[in-house]
Amino acid sequence: MRRSAVLATAILLACVSPAAAQSITTRGFVEGRLFVFPQEADLDHQHFIVDLLAREELAARPTDWLRLQGGIEFRANDADQVDDSWQPDIRDRGAKRPLLSIRRLDATVSRGRLTIDAGKQFIRWGKTEIVTPTDRFAPRDYLNVFDTEYLAVPGVRVLGQFGAHSLDAVWVPVFTPSRIPLPGKRWTVLPPGAPAVDAFDRAIPEGRQAGLRWAYVGSGYEVSGSFFDGFNHLPVVEPVGPLAFRLVFPSMRMYGGDAVVPSRWITIKAEGGYFTTDNPLADDYVLYVIELERQHGELLAAGGYAGEHVTHQRSIGRFAPDRGMARAFTGRAAYTIDANRSAAVEAAVRADLDGVYVKAEYSQARGDHWRTTVALAALGGDPDNFLGQYRHNSHLVLSVRYSF
Amino acid sequence: MNRLFAALCLLGLAAAAPSAQDVRQVVDEAQRRSSATSQRYEGLLQVFEAKGRVSDKRWTLERIGSHGQSRAILKFTAPAEVKGVALLIVNHPDRASDQWMWTPAIERDRRIALQDRSTRFFGTDFSFEDLEERDVNQYDYQMLGDETVEGAACWKIQSVPKERKSSQYTRSVVWIRKDNYAFARIESYVKDAVVRRLDYSDIENVQGIWTARRLEMTDLRRGSRTRLTLDKLQYNTPMNEEDFTLQALRRQ
Repeated sequence: MRRSAVLATAILLACVSPAAAQSITTRGFVEGRLFVFPQEADLDHQHFIVDLLAREELAARPTDWLRLQGGIEFRANDADQVDDSWQPDIRDRGAKRPLLSIRRLDATVSRGRLTIDAGKQFIRWGKTEIVTPTDRFAPRDYLNVFDTEYLAVPGVRVLGQFGAHSLDAVWVPVFTPSRIPLPGKRWTVLPPGAPAVDAFDRAIPEGRQAGLRWAYVGSGYEVSGSFFDGFNHLPVVEPVGPLAFRLVFPSMRMYGGDAVVPSRWITIKAEGGYFTTDNPLADDYVLYVIELERQHGELLAAGGYAGEHVTHQRSIGRFAPDRGMARAFTGRAAYTIDANRSAAVEAAVRADLDGVYVKAEYSQARGDHWRTTVALAALGGDPDNFLGQYRHNSHLVLSVRYSF
Repeated sequence: MNRLFAALCLLGLAAAAPSAQDVRQVVDEAQRRSSATSQRYEGLLQVFEAKGRVSDKRWTLERIGSHGQSRAILKFTAPAEVKGVALLIVNHPDRASDQWMWTPAIERDRRIALQDRSTRFFGTDFSFEDLEERDVNQYDYQMLGDETVEGAACWKIQSVPKERKSSQYTRSVVWIRKDNYAFARIESYVKDAVVRRLDYSDIENVQGIWTARRLEMTDLRRGSRTRLTLDKLQYNTPMNEEDFTLQALRRQ
């Protein structure tokens, strides 16, 4: 696979060279981040984590109908969150972040009403913020549960635009799981008595995934319906012996939809999905979000409720941030101070007040290239609640980014 | 892109000066002469803040259609941190425009909530409403007289948005040059106070359309101003409707 990744990169570069006369755009950044955790966690006593990320993305348009995109990343980290191998990684299925990875590598062909994307790409569905039930082709890196990044998936996507209607068909032959917190680290909370392990035993399915999304942009509203058949990128716990378990990514079928209704006073956004499975360790459930959004001057505020209804309870344990943020009021407010400065606050508060997450952020640009961001995330609640289990993980993040 | 587009387009050709009663004829003629099936340019935005700081942004704009029926895609090309951010604007003759923003960092498009369209666009002195293109039928007009702007004789016209047109502005006063029907200045009012002033300069004839190559918007409440300079401007170039959809926005 790694050899094919290198080969694919070479092909992309070969395609790009003669295409230089058309258009090539590049963008990238180098970012250093310092995480400060004032409290010690049960399994992790490290107070400071330093993280480095360098990313370069390239897009080339050899002809009007073809666009090639590639991106590479280099990472380093002093908390053992990054793999040691210098081999470029394209699969993104490892427990740790790759040191050197091909973040994306895809080609887009546009002919009339049709657009075809093939390769490792980002596929985002849904309309709501913070919790997005229908976003099923978007696994994430959860090594820090509240500071996540999306992972690209390999596949083919065909989009058709027919007036106000559009149809989005996706086929993903290789499953990419979300990257879950590492054992022995502060974002992993194990039940009392569970043995310490160096690595989680993960059963990653090899089957394909597929999905279909129809969307309609009407006069003053947007609506869509979506179907997904594949696997949950978040795992459930399967016991394999006394005090031993492995992580299983269960099959999943989703019937979902979303809608946006902007009005003169407020924009209403709604999104929901019904999830079923034939896995005896996973639940059937409904996850939904209703949000109201309002722009007032330079302030953009959105808030709503993320709800969950379990129709068939089977799981005995799971890592599911999407469901963990449900049964909660969620909100986000962003304020643009001026051309270079902005501030934002986001929060999730469980309806029964047994878990709370609040994150405040201030960001300032200097010149054309530099940006400094300070964020403070506070977590609290009961230990048996998804948010509350991280009550010792409130933290400060200082990041400095140089964009080029 | 209301004021912007109007500025980019208006052409001149001085015929007999219309009387005050002919105010509608003036604005109709200004719109007619600025009409183009498409437009493309590279823009340099310079924001001069009240404290003296200057920040630059660059974008490319492509538009298809004209005056209330147009669609435009605006894509930032600099600075590096906003490179790739794109905006799709779908104008409607009878209501506020629909706008979606594509943010490459999260690979997602997002419909922009514009309950308050006085919001500044990316920290510039242009508001989102200023980015809309408007049709002359959305306003009522009154001739206020004749005035000279930067040495050019102009008609001074007041425009008031019709009831169905939601606007942050109570009214605007526009100066239209008599020699070429190009806009020279727009002052926009909230109640009785002027809140924004847009000045047009470097007016050139581009493919038969008199166009201001430099626009300067001053936010009189903040004391800041934003200058937009147009480069590589082209009209009536072949473009496809399919390149002005949400799907096209995602592949910018």
